[in-house]
Amino acid sequence: MIEVKDLTKSYGNIRAVQDVSFEIRKGEVFGLLGPNGAGKTTIIKMLTTLSRPDAGRCMIDGFHVVEEPFEIKKRIGIVPQENNLDRELTAYENLLIYGMLHRVRDMKGEIRSALRMVDLWDRKDSLVSSFSGGMQRRLLLSRALLTVPSVLFLDEPSIGLDPQIRRQMWNVIRKTRIDGRTVVITTHYIEEAEALCDRVGILSKGKLIALDSPKNLKAMVGEYTAEFINNDGRLIQQVCRRREDALEMARGRDDGVTIRRSNLEDVFIKLTGERIE
Amino acid sequence: MNAFGWYPIFFREMLLFRRKLLRLGYLFSAMVVPIIYLIAFGFGLGRNVRIQETDYLSFLIPGLVAMSSMNNSYTWIASAFNLNRLYFKTFQVFVQAPISPSSIMVGEVLAGMVKGLFASSLIIVAGFLTSPHFSLTPIFITTLLLNCFLFANLGVITGMLAKSHEDTATYSNFFIMPMAFFSGTFFPVDKVPQLIKPIIYLMPLTHTNIVIRKAAMDQEGLISFAVLIICSIAFFVYGSRLIKNYTE
Repeated sequence: MIEVKDLTKSYGNIRAVQDVSFEIRKGEVFGLLGPNGAGKTTIIKMLTTLSRPDAGRCMIDGFHVVEEPFEIKKRIGIVPQENNLDRELTAYENLLIYGMLHRVRDMKGEIRSALRMVDLWDRKDSLVSSFSGGMQRRLLLSRALLTVPSVLFLDEPSIGLDPQIRRQMWNVIRKTRIDGRTVVITTHYIEEAEALCDRVGILSKGKLIALDSPKNLKAMVGEYTAEFINNDGRLIQQVCRRREDALEMARGRDDGVTIRRSNLEDVFIKLTGERIE
Repeated sequence: MNAFGWYPIFFREMLLFRRKLLRLGYLFSAMVVPIIYLIAFGFGLGRNVRIQETDYLSFLIPGLVAMSSMNNSYTWIASAFNLNRLYFKTFQVFVQAPISPSSIMVGEVLAGMVKGLFASSLIIVAGFLTSPHFSLTPIFITTLLLNCFLFANLGVITGMLAKSHEDTATYSNFFIMPMAFFSGTFFPVDKVPQLIKPIIYLMPLTHTNIVIRKAAMDQEGLISFAVLIICSIAFFVYGSRLIKNYTE
């Protein structure tokens, strides 16, 4: 479905993406997880024809992203990290123009169902400039779904949203995969990657350092984490394979040891020695 | 390939234009500069001046129409295109749609032409009201359309090349402003010192001003018309190429 091989991109002296390779299966929700500047958005921009790779190859549905961009553009929907809605147009007009650009057939019907999916049909005639941040993110998602794309790219879909709105957004994203659509998500929210993704690629400094299901990634480094403050006042997180190992680590420390299930941030810390921020 | 891929781009610009039109400030800003020139130069300084065997107002109004169409076709597109590309990111929506770069170019340029024609139509109305000799000839209308097309193309090029919104003002100060004053809008180019004449003839607006004042086509008019067509094609091709090679 999506094949990325040795993808590389530099901006001046900065290597944003270095020899990244992965494959995404049809119908899969695939996450790219990493801190800001890890190269997630650059990869999405290259896969969605917005940015040209320096080296490597990307294929979507058997079409070459650089050599056959028209075919790619017909098949993808994009929710960019930066809001690119027309703020001086209404929600309906934004979708109408997008639909015209992509030659949507049943325009009125598709716009109605796309806006209803994100609960914005009642605000269809309101200017986007009057929308809250969460409403604008939802509108971006409905615009991406308007063309019924076979691949949906979501670049930090819930960035800047409060937890309640974020969960609403996740529910909408979950709905989008019902008809077998492939979804590619970039995020630096651990919870988001764990809640939505079948598999996760972990990026650090432009390199793909791990790729597997969240469960397998956690199992790889240890399913339990013991957290405590050491004598220097630093937070120590020790990943353990078994709960008994974590309990053993906690023994003798009566000053607030927490033993919990590991998450993808623990995986990232274990692999890179850094936190996702 | 979609032959009407340009239409959504044009339609979007027209939706935005319609909203702007409803604001008094937009109408006023489109009219204010040429009307000031008309009053200051036409009715003030030029009251007792005769140029090319006609009264100054009859000479001035076609020049103001050309200048106004240039300013509005160019400025609105250069500014909006640059803002859409660098700040609002709406340009991404166009380049990620299955339409050709020339469709984006055509849609934006046609929108720029509408804005240029709208502003110049206000001067044309003022011309009919103030100058008894003013008339719309086929040469006048064709040249006006060509001028709008040319400068809307240049607007897209500036919008693509400018690295910040402030840069568009710099381009304007270096290219558009000198053209407005030295390309035959206010006085015939044969009054310009011989030394800078070659530069004046490099400016497209000079050729617009030559042709737009012709009652009938002569050799000079045909050469200037050819220059306008060549510049328009060159700017269109270059603008489309910039859009095609766009990468983030």
